[in-house]
Amino acid sequence: MPELLQFAFSGLTVGAVYALVALGFTLIYNASDVVNFAQGEFVMLGGMITVFLHLAGLPVPVAAFAAILITVLVGLALYAFAIDLARGSGAVQIIIITIGASIFLRGVAQVVFDKRFHALPPWFGSEPIRLGGAAILPQSLVVLTGAALIVALIFLLIDRTILGRAILATATNRLAARLVGIPVRRIVALSFALSAAIGAVAGLLVTPITLTSYDVGTLMALKGFAAAMLGGMGSAPGAIVGGVLLGLAESFGAGLISSKYKDAIAFLIILFTLFVRPQGLFGKKSTERV
Amino acid sequence: MLEISGLSSAYGRIEVLHGIGLVVPASQLVCLIGGNGAGKTTLLRAISGVQPLKSGSIRFDGQDITRLSAEERVKRGIAQVPEGRQIFGSLTVEDNLNLGGWLHGGGTASERDAIYAMFPILGEKRHLAAGGLSGGQQQMLAIGRALMSRPRLLLLDEPSMGLAPVLVEQVFGVIESLRAKGITMLLVEQNAAAALAKADYGYVIETGRITHSGPSAQLIGDPKVREAYLGI
Repeated sequence: MPELLQFAFSGLTVGAVYALVALGFTLIYNASDVVNFAQGEFVMLGGMITVFLHLAGLPVPVAAFAAILITVLVGLALYAFAIDLARGSGAVQIIIITIGASIFLRGVAQVVFDKRFHALPPWFGSEPIRLGGAAILPQSLVVLTGAALIVALIFLLIDRTILGRAILATATNRLAARLVGIPVRRIVALSFALSAAIGAVAGLLVTPITLTSYDVGTLMALKGFAAAMLGGMGSAPGAIVGGVLLGLAESFGAGLISSKYKDAIAFLIILFTLFVRPQGLFGKKSTERV
Repeated sequence: MLEISGLSSAYGRIEVLHGIGLVVPASQLVCLIGGNGAGKTTLLRAISGVQPLKSGSIRFDGQDITRLSAEERVKRGIAQVPEGRQIFGSLTVEDNLNLGGWLHGGGTASERDAIYAMFPILGEKRHLAAGGLSGGQQQMLAIGRALMSRPRLLLLDEPSMGLAPVLVEQVFGVIESLRAKGITMLLVEQNAAAALAKADYGYVIETGRITHSGPSAQLIGDPKVREAYLGI
């Protein structure tokens, strides 16, 4: 029993991170129909920049804030210099551009930082909390709280503000959005900035638990993508549920079957989703009348 | 109010508008009639700034707006009810209206109420997804959304297309009432007889060129126009 509780907790923690990555995918996909495979690099940058600024002597909160800011700038640059220039190209071309950007960012990180693994000190110490026989790292609670806060903020933005509605409108009908005066390119740039910020936060929250290095982004993007697919591409609640389910599946799979298969579970989930329910758990088939 | 001269536009290499000249005086209803593929929709998109020009100029209120962004044109008072409605199907009726007022921070309750008074069915369905509305209701919503931007010039692209006759009548009724409020309109219609009957002035466009123009009464009397577009 205590093991199951332990699996559930670690699953929830990783799942929260996957959920954030999937939410980043969703925001960009919704505003621009682009599947941004450089999403994982935002997570890497958030962690790595915080680590190196901290090593350079900045206190962690300052380093973290700077890391988010720099990652946002990278996200905006990715939009301005790669995606926006390819406006009018097909979806496949743009996806390949994001894969290229991801490889590029990883290469730059390898040169600017290094190829080793790095950790950050946990925010509230490393003394595990005992609960029903399971040991919970305080940092896990930080990850869960941070993820919940971000999700709440994004939902408030999308659901309660005219800006959020404009993001959805841009996603639904770009021509109509332009005709009512919505600056669609700035809206898409905003979605890249938000996604970058979310990714960076995920990265710096989880680094004390999982460590980080220049190449954590690849797997992170794949996991986040699997989570977004499972939840239904384009659905924000789906991204959250998909992320948490994937985290739990991985944790229980690794614990009960074999930890060797941990990373394979995400791919199994992608395949299973595509076979059984291609629109994902929360995806809707289009019901629009024309 | 709107003066277009020498306007040419192309999709890729294929030029579809060849030197269009057209004037819409303030507070008038001007209609543009022509067959499928004549360039009517392209012209309206060019006026709204979502279709690039090859040459020519567009002046609004005496100022050159040829190079302005779509956003800036809405700000100056040009709104469009696009062909095929183009509503935001996944958003609610109310959100659609609020987004029409995007440039004014999202539209006020009293502005929305004015639209609901004009189209009561939209008020009843305000919290439903716009994609589920019938074609006629979507058309009302598209008109309402355009009005939320507080336009001085309203561009209407085939508002009667695909609607049942009773709804077509309703749409023309709405156009009539907007005109009574002093809103300047450029109306594109395939339903040439109905459009000319309401309009002050008309233009006929054929394969990207204006071939006839004149006061509506004169166009209705023109044998060539009657034969080609009015089916008489």
